[in-house]
Amino acid sequence: MDFNPCMKHKVVRKAVRMFAEAELGPIAHDIDRDARFPTEVMEKMRPLHFFGLQAPKAYGGAEMDTISYAIVIEEISRISAAVGLCLTVHNSVGIYPIVRFGTEEQKKRFLPAMTGGLQIGAFCLTEANAGSDAGGVETLAVRDGNDYVINGTKIFVTNGSICGTALIFAITDTQNPQRSAGVFIVEKGNPGFAVGEIEDLCGMRANPVSSLFLEECRVPETNLLGRPGDGLKIGLATLDAGRIGIAAQALGLAQAAFEDSVRYSKERQQFKKPISSFQTIRNYLADMATEIDAARLLLYRACAVRDSGRPFGAEAAMAKLYCSETATKVTNTAVQIHGGYGYSKEYDVERYFRDAKVTEIYEGTSEVQRMVISRAVLARRT
Amino acid sequence: MVKMVVCIKQVPMVSELPWDPATGTLQRDLAEGMMNPACRSALDAALRIKETAGGEITAITMGPPMAEEVLREAIALGADRGILLTDRKMAGADTSVTSHTLARAIEKACQGFDLVLCGCSTSDSETAQVGPQLAEELDIPGVAYVDEIELSRGAVRMRRISDHFLETLEMDLPGIVTVTTGHYAPRHVPLGGLQAAFTGAQIDSLDAEAVGLDPEWIGAKGSATKIRNVFSPTAGKKNIVLTGAPKRIVEQLFDLFDDKIGGAIGKDLKTDKNSK
Repeated sequence: MDFNPCMKHKVVRKAVRMFAEAELGPIAHDIDRDARFPTEVMEKMRPLHFFGLQAPKAYGGAEMDTISYAIVIEEISRISAAVGLCLTVHNSVGIYPIVRFGTEEQKKRFLPAMTGGLQIGAFCLTEANAGSDAGGVETLAVRDGNDYVINGTKIFVTNGSICGTALIFAITDTQNPQRSAGVFIVEKGNPGFAVGEIEDLCGMRANPVSSLFLEECRVPETNLLGRPGDGLKIGLATLDAGRIGIAAQALGLAQAAFEDSVRYSKERQQFKKPISSFQTIRNYLADMATEIDAARLLLYRACAVRDSGRPFGAEAAMAKLYCSETATKVTNTAVQIHGGYGYSKEYDVERYFRDAKVTEIYEGTSEVQRMVISRAVLARRT
Repeated sequence: MVKMVVCIKQVPMVSELPWDPATGTLQRDLAEGMMNPACRSALDAALRIKETAGGEITAITMGPPMAEEVLREAIALGADRGILLTDRKMAGADTSVTSHTLARAIEKACQGFDLVLCGCSTSDSETAQVGPQLAEELDIPGVAYVDEIELSRGAVRMRRISDHFLETLEMDLPGIVTVTTGHYAPRHVPLGGLQAAFTGAQIDSLDAEAVGLDPEWIGAKGSATKIRNVFSPTAGKKNIVLTGAPKRIVEQLFDLFDDKIGGAIGKDLKTDKNSK
């Protein structure tokens, strides 16, 4: 068992860190303040394969292993979690379901534009009455000849207003919602497909999270992913993969808050001494470092299990649960260490603090993660 | 097809410099390495030549096994292959011995090269000596501090700023240039290229014996330079509060300004001003 990162992972981290610090560092604060999605940085990310991190080369992807993928998301989120969010959603719940469940025709049709970053992906499950309970989805797709006609409203869609390719979770039979669920690929510009208002959220403000409306939205049957009724299966597999990305994002946030806290505690003088000389602050830093390390190890373990081809659902849920709760805790402590300044928008820890909370909510709440983990634990033979 | 060799050095990452406050020296063993910024510009210059006129790029570095990282990075950016010169016997080399080692390795492993590109200096030592010394060792013409370079009919045409003049120079090949960070903006590493650089790329690792180097002329043993002291330069900051009547304050301010600026540029500004 080797806990040292291999040379490739070290170089990936350095390359992405350099990019993030140079291109996102100067604007991370402002895009949060202005709730502005930085399209100019997206332009620079396109040729560098940020939009096809794990997709096969044949479709324009970089075909990275999952640890490399997690490192990319972690490093981008260390500077801007909102941009990290765009990437992780696009790569893991936008592209991955098409790679895993799509037909060759669908892959050829949709993936090159997505991996090239020309079409941003979104995964649309959540509705007013459905979130943790995927069975509560009411969006309805009705078969009409060789088409499906979709009606419904999706809410809290990450990448909502910028998405070009949305995967819509819909049922085809109101009498049998769970068994009739399907995932439909709907492209921007499709008649009947419209973007709603951008949500005014506590954190991740640079990501245009919005609702999406489907009104008599007609798509050919070739836009159905998998077979009719595969929806739940696709949804669950997608969320397993998605959780690794969100765990990485939360980890990047925690890392950023920790680094700022170390720096600040060395600079800030109270009672004529740097506050890092006080035992209380040292204990805070020790706990932060330990929890971040534990979170990172859990995450990379989940990634390694995934790359080995074994089922990784429970490992991904553990990583997501622990990374996100660590992010909330560490960013909270970071604000505390910064005192009044930490509560000010002048300091980045205030942004990290707001950004962190949602990592415990989306891609399965902490409660859902515990459900997934406990199921796996109870299913094992003791 | 022009055959290019880019010499690259891995230097400690500036943002993560672990500095030992007790000794005032850099803790190199703890530092993360990165490609020296000027070497990055030299690589970029070579890549642009390759992109417009075609060609082949060999990235070469001398350093510990960890230095392989910068070769992989160079390959991810578009270099065709890498050569890693690594041997404990090569450690502690001064600039002269470094140039000697690089020259012999280039002769051995990059036969028929047309153009060697180096960064004009490195961020960890700033001597700017290796490139010009390499020209001597290889016995080929060399131009240092080049801002821009392009191929022109079997020769290279270069622009550089020297003593406030913009010079345009032309040099026959084979030759060597050292490149500044002025014109070539470092490009970011494509992630797909990085994956490929770690799977199918060719990197040859050579030790002193494989290059055929005389053990007396490499590493610390062959180096004439001995470093006596390394220290971090100190920059002081001081606040001065001026008090009194506004006229007096302004006079004081100008006096202080004259002292500071005049001192820095070595000119008596007061006398200069009074004489006008």
